[in-house]
Order: sequence, then C-alpha cells, then structure tokens
Amino acid sequence: MQLLKTLKKASPGWFLLTAGIIILLLIPNLNIIINLFGEAGENWEHVRDYLLINYFQNSLILVLATGLLTAFLGAGLAWIIAAYNFPGRDFLSWGLILPLAIPPYIGAYVYQGMFSYTGPLQTFLRNNFQLQLSQQYFDFMNIRGAIFIYTIFLFPYVFLMTKAFLSRQSASLLESSRLLGKSDSTIFFKIILPLSRGAVVAGSSLVMMEVLNDYGVVKYFGISTFTTAIFKSWFGMGDLPTSVRLAVMAMLVIFVVLFIEKLLRGGRKYSYSTSNIRPVSRRKLEGGRKIMAQIFTYGVFFFGFLLPTAQLLYWSFLSRGGGLMETLHFAFTSFLTGGGAAVLILTGAVIIATTARMSSNFVSNLLARITILGYSIPGAVIAVGVLLFMLQLDGVLSFLQMGFGIEANVVLSSTLVMLIFAYAVRFMGIAFNSVNSGYEKIGESYFEASRTLGKGVTETFFKIDLPMLKPALMSGFLLVFIEIMKELPLTMILRPFNFDTLATKAFEYASDEMIYRAADLSLVLIFFSTAAIYLITHHRRRKK
Amino acid sequence: MQLEIKNLTFAYNKKEGNIVDNFNLKVKKGEVVALVGASGSGKSTVLRLTAGLEIPDSGEISIAGQTVAGDHKFRAAEKREVGMVFQDYALFPHLSVEKNIVFGIDHLSKDKRKSRVKELLKLVNLEGFEKRYPHQLSGGQQQRIALARTLAPGPELLLLDEPFSNLDAELKDKIRRELNEIIKKVGVTTILVSHDREDAEFMQAREILMN
Repeated sequence: MQLLKTLKKASPGWFLLTAGIIILLLIPNLNIIINLFGEAGENWEHVRDYLLINYFQNSLILVLATGLLTAFLGAGLAWIIAAYNFPGRDFLSWGLILPLAIPPYIGAYVYQGMFSYTGPLQTFLRNNFQLQLSQQYFDFMNIRGAIFIYTIFLFPYVFLMTKAFLSRQSASLLESSRLLGKSDSTIFFKIILPLSRGAVVAGSSLVMMEVLNDYGVVKYFGISTFTTAIFKSWFGMGDLPTSVRLAVMAMLVIFVVLFIEKLLRGGRKYSYSTSNIRPVSRRKLEGGRKIMAQIFTYGVFFFGFLLPTAQLLYWSFLSRGGGLMETLHFAFTSFLTGGGAAVLILTGAVIIATTARMSSNFVSNLLARITILGYSIPGAVIAVGVLLFMLQLDGVLSFLQMGFGIEANVVLSSTLVMLIFAYAVRFMGIAFNSVNSGYEKIGESYFEASRTLGKGVTETFFKIDLPMLKPALMSGFLLVFIEIMKELPLTMILRPFNFDTLATKAFEYASDEMIYRAADLSLVLIFFSTAAIYLITHHRRRKK
Repeated sequence: MQLEIKNLTFAYNKKEGNIVDNFNLKVKKGEVVALVGASGSGKSTVLRLTAGLEIPDSGEISIAGQTVAGDHKFRAAEKREVGMVFQDYALFPHLSVEKNIVFGIDHLSKDKRKSRVKELLKLVNLEGFEKRYPHQLSGGQQQRIALARTLAPGPELLLLDEPFSNLDAELKDKIRRELNEIIKKVGVTTILVSHDREDAEFMQAREILMN
C-alpha cells in the first residue's frame, strides 16, 4: 500500500517509459564523473599547472559581471514596462524580448565589424571629418567587450521573468505605498526589488549558465574559458581525458552559481493570503520622465536588436544574394533538424510530465530537477559526456553484430542520432517546464473526472490531456526549436562530417572574416527566432 | 450495504497528521447521505478515497458488496463504477455537451448512445443542448450537464463535491430543489459533501458531522 501511495496514481507503463528516458538523460553526465577517475591525458599536467587558473578567472569574471549587469538592466526595464504607460510601451513589452533572437556570437561579430578600424563607423568619421578615434575605446575583442555583448543580448531572460512576476503582483501593494507618501523610486528600491528578488535572481542565473555555455563569443574574441578549453583539448589535441577533467571543473563553476542562487533566493517565500489579486494599473508618464523612459527603453532595443539587424541587412545587401542557394540549403537543414529534434524532445517531455503529475510530490520534484540538469551544464560538457556514451554504445553494437554475424556495421557516434540525443539532454528541461506549466494550468479535475467515467490513464491522456495541452505544447515546441537553431557548441562538436546548420556555418564564415556570407545566414536565423518569439508572445496575449 | 467504509485512515503528508482518521460509514442502497463539516475536516477526502482518486493508508472500502480498497487490494478509479460531480464541474472544454455525456458510455452502440443522451438531457431539463460547448452554458446549466455526464454510465454510487458552493444565494434554492428531484427520480445512492447544514436538510439527507 505504501509503495502504491508513493507512486500514487501512475500506471506502470508510463512509469517505465519515464524511467528509461531519465536514465538516458543522466548517463552522459554520470559518464563524465566516472571518467574523472580514469587516467589523466598527456596534456593535463600542462593545463593544470599553467592554464587552469586563467580559465577559472575568465569564466568567473564573465559569469559574475554579466549576471550582475543583466540583473539591473532586466529588472529596471521590467519595472518600467510593468508600472508605466508611455507611447511605444505595448510594442516594447515584447520588443525588448527580441535581443534573444540574436545569438550572442552573431552580435559579437556584428559589433566588432561595425566598430573596428575598417568598419563603417570609423571609416565614415575618418573620410568625412578626418577624425581618428582612439582604438582602445572601440576594441570589442576583450573581456569588457564580451560582457557588453552578453549583457545586451541576454538581459531578456531577466526582463521576462521579472515582468511576469510583477504582472502577478497585487495593485494594492503599490497603491498603499503611494498612499503612504512614497516616491516611485523609493517604491522600486524598497518594495519592488526585494519582492522580485527571486525572479531577478532566477533570470540572471539563466544568463550566467548561458554565458558559461557560450563558445562563439569567447572563441571569436580570443578569450580562454572552460568551453574553449574543452574544444581545444578535444579538437586540437584529441585528448578526451583532459576535456573530461575540464568539463568537471566547469560543472564546479555551475554548482557555485547554483549555490549563490539558492543563497540569494533564500527568504523568497512571499505569497499572498488571498487569491483575489488585482493586477497593477500602469501610471501614465508625462514630460521629462516620459522622454527619459523612452530614451532608455528604445535605446536598449536599438542596441540589442535594431542596430545589429540593420547592419546585417546592409552587409547582406552588399553581398547581392551571392550565396542564396547555399543559404536556402542551410536554412532547410536547420529547419528540419530543429523541428524534428524539437518534436522528439517534446514527446519525451510530455511522457515525463504526465508521469510527474501522477506521482507524489517527491518524485515529481525529482523528475523536474533531473530534466533541468542538462540546461544548467555547458553544451561542451554535455558533448563530451554524450560522445563517451556513444562510443561505449558503438562498442556494444559492434560486439553484438560480430556475435550474430551481421555485417551491417551500424555506428552511432558522429551521426545525427548522436547530435539529436545531445540536444535532448540539453533542452529536455525547457520542454518539460512548458508541458508542466500547461498541466498546472489545466488542473487535475478533468483528469479525475475522466477516470471516474471509466477511462484509464492512457485513454485519458489521449482524449483529454493532449487536446487541452495544445497551447503549452505549441510554445514548448517553439522555445526548443529556437534554442536548437541558435545552438553552437554541441553542434560544433557532435555534428556528422560535412553537416552544417545556419548557426555553425554563420559562425565559421564570421571566424574566417567572410562577414557578408555570414550576414545572410544570420539574418535567416534571426528571422526564424523573431517569428517564434512573436508567435509565443502573441498567442499568449490572445488567450487572455 | 451499497457502501461500507471501515476504519479508513489517510494522510496527504505524514508530518501534518491524518486528515481522515479511523472513519466509518455505512450507506444503504438508494440512501442520500450528507457529510457536513468545516474545510479541512476531511469530508472531500473521504469522497476522493471512495472514488479511487486517493489510496488509503489503512482501512477498507467496499461498494455494492465488493472490496475496492484495503487488504492489499486497490481498484483504480476507472473500474469502480462510482460517479463524481466535481466542485468546478470539470466539463471537458474541447468537447460538446453531447460528447461530454457520451464520454463514459462510448462502448454502447451509436443508437443507444443517442437515446441515452436524449434521456439524460430530458432528465436534467436541458433538451436540445447537444451541440453547445461548456463555455456557452451558465453555471447552473454546467452543473446539470456534469450531473448528466456522471449519471450516464449508471453508477453504483453518486458523489457530489460541494455542489452548491459556486452558486449565489438566489440560484441556490432552485438548484437544490432540482438536484433533489433528479436524484429521487433516478434513485441512485448519493453522498454529498457540504460545509452548510442547511444543504443537508434541504436534500432530506442523513446528516453526518465531520470534525
């Protein structure tokens, strides 16, 4: 009876399926930890003695500085959008999410190209006004530049989470503060910031994970971090054991970040005693304050989306459709890979979320933790884990094939199967969260009503849950799809020979300074992401 | 006995203690029983345990002479032939009224389903509502459709969870009268849960106080 109760209402079929998926998701990560106790590679000593401290330093500076800056930028913007009305506010409430559509590595080469000595800005000033600018202020290719790039393209994570949080706050809080004679800035620092600390910290820890995951920006700017080091030891030296060790170190940084997050979120458990929450009514801004708010919000939108996109359009125009067929080819490959993988990942997420819903709180929390694990671990680390796992599987497969005298010679490593599996490990958490919040919105009574009307778990799932989950599935699909389209480190390490996505090819062209060709591919990528963001935000709005 | 509950004990969370503690109940066929108590008294939990939506820690439940829970046995909700009308009615929003009612009797032949739907809509006084969707119905209409859906498979036992809590005072009297009529007409054994003793009196139910 007790065991039955722990599993609560889960049916064994669902539970087994989920267990299978969860084990698959965990193996790559466990693999890394197990391999740590193997023999060290030939380069390890050198890396440990001379380079490791540098990786740590750079990674920590990037992660912490970006985390802090995005927290302030994101929270400030969210407050302005949530609490005030001014011309353009409605557009900006989703327009300020758009910087997420531009992968940071694309932003990096655009900004570098724009502001470099031979770029349009300096050339224009030089040719027309004989102005020579001091190069040190226009050099993006250093840590400061990387922090700027990450901040301007990743702050929407904090913006989104804080905005969502603020929109759930009760108006009476604000109104009573105002009635008590507090100015708006006092309210922001004394009430809003402390109250939304949990959301801000959650958003900025997402940003920090993205920064640690990033390969493109640091590689392009020549900054050594854990991710670039893993690449170097694997691609450059073919030294897997050293990559594994670096991967573990990177995971340590992540645990530090997660620990800090826990600490900062500490006393976060503010909740309302009433469910009767009246949303915050926005105050209309006038005069100088209106203009200031507009300059600030539109300014961020300009640097985070408009300027880089316009520059890309200009470059693309200069290339005069040179690589059109090629661009279409990569767009098609990316679309197919991203779409196919997203469908598979979402299927897995639905199975896990359905089981989680039928299980006890303990089990469902555990499932949520495990699925999100992959998102907090840098892609390069997951790549190493997946590679190890696939090599082991290949060993087993060839043994089986020999045993049965089959000459099929099936291998999994360096195939699309391996890449898609790695995407699943990394992005299952995003899909799971979408499905799970969909289930939370539906509630349990439909499921229970169907059960009392004589339908089993599986029949209920197909007849009731699935149709009602449709909006959540849609936004989950789009989120995972954008992530895969933009993904760089996993794809670079695990892709099959001669396989390229928009992201990898754009990055390759940019690294080779073939910036016009990179522009076409980047624009297609940005177009897909923008469309997806538009669909997600506007679909939700219509629902309201 | 249509329903027999012996020494039923249940806790959602061991630390918070038992919400249902050594509960006993016997209900005769055709009887209407009301569990009355404040929120947190475990009255809704007894319904959920009876329906098979929760698994008891100990104790025994039997319906129409068959043990459905206890003694290392647990019969899943879908195999208990217990109908339940939920507090929020839980009408499937993507299905029409007709499809909602048919949901539990889709093993019947098409003609039989049609005539059963007609019969039930007549019973709850909503003839001609087949093609409507739940969001097109008023609160009181939704409740009657939910009742029709629950009665469609001919359950051994009808459970009503706070059937009058979502209704305003004026409507309440009318709904109570209608519900009472329908239940008497069908003659189904009924357990209803309410925080209001007046409901029990109105429904001419045997009252059981929970604390």
